[in-house]
Amino acid sequence: MTEFETDFWKDAARRKVWDQLVPGEPRATLPYLLTLDAIQKYCRSVGETHPLYFDEAYAKRTPYGGIVAPPSIHILLMFACTPADDWMRSPGTINAGQSWSYVRPARPGDTITLQARCLDKFIRKDRLFAVHDNVFFNQHGQVICAGRGQTIRPM
Amino acid sequence: MSQGFDSIQPGDVVEGPKFAVTRETIRDFCDASLDYNPLHLDDKYMEGSFGKTSFGGVIMHGMTNFGLLTRMLTDWAYPQGALHRRLETRWRAPVRPGDTIQPMARVTRKQATHQSRWVLLDVDIRNQSGVLIATGEAMVEFPHDLTAALSI
Repeated sequence: MTEFETDFWKDAARRKVWDQLVPGEPRATLPYLLTLDAIQKYCRSVGETHPLYFDEAYAKRTPYGGIVAPPSIHILLMFACTPADDWMRSPGTINAGQSWSYVRPARPGDTITLQARCLDKFIRKDRLFAVHDNVFFNQHGQVICAGRGQTIRPM
Repeated sequence: MSQGFDSIQPGDVVEGPKFAVTRETIRDFCDASLDYNPLHLDDKYMEGSFGKTSFGGVIMHGMTNFGLLTRMLTDWAYPQGALHRRLETRWRAPVRPGDTIQPMARVTRKQATHQSRWVLLDVDIRNQSGVLIATGEAMVEFPHDLTAALSI
C-alpha cells in the first residue's frame, strides 16, 4: 500500500460533490490484496487481541480453519478498495451511522473486491446526506459482508 | 454451544473494555483504516465549522466506535460458538483525545428461525462522563452447527 495517497486534499478537486452523486450509479472500485499485516495492524488499532486474528496454530484448531480478519475489517476495505478520487474521501465527510451484515470472514491472502454505489441522497435540517451501499467479495465471488451508511457531505 | 443460547436471558449485559483515546490512537486508526480525513488529523482545519456543526479540534473516527463494538460482540460470541452477524450504529456525539470510552450491550430478545437461533442486543458507547457517544443494535447467531454456518 505504499502508493496510497494519505493527503486527502490532493485529489479533492476531482471528487464528486453532493450535486454530482447519482443514486444507483456504481462507484469505481479497486481489487485489494488483504495481507496478514494489514489485518493485524487494524486489530491493534482497536485493541483486538483474539488469537483467531494472531495465532495460526490456534485458529487452525477451530472451525475457522485458520486466521481470519475481524468482521469490522470492512472499515479498512472501504478505503483500500476505492480510488483516490472517490467521494468518500472528501475532507469534511462526516459519518452519521452504518449498518453491516456479516456473511463469512475475510482471510489473509484474500483478494477483495467491492461493489458500491450512492443509493440515495437527501437534504435534512440544512445538511446534505448521501446513503452509500456496499458489498465486499472474496476472490471466489463469495460475499464477505454487505452494508450501508449515511454520510453528511461537506458544504 | 446450545448451552450458551439456552442460558442467555433478555436483560443480560455484556461490557467491553475501556478504550483511552489519544492523538496516537487516532493516528494509528488512520494508518490501520486508511481513513486520513483531516477531521482526525488537522486541528487548524477543525477550528472551522461544518455547516451547522463545529468540533473545535480533531475528533476520533466514528468507525472506531464500530470497531470497539465489534470487538465486544465477537469476544462474547466466539467462546459460545456464536457468530456476530449484524451491527447497526448511529453516532450521537464526537469523541476527542483525552476521552475514555466504553462499549456495552444488553440482550433484548431471543429468536428461533427455521434454521437457526438468534440473540438481539441493544448496544451503546459512553464516554467517561456518561455521555452517549453511539447507539445501535446487533444480531448474534447461535447456529446449531458452527462449521456448517461458516462454510455456507
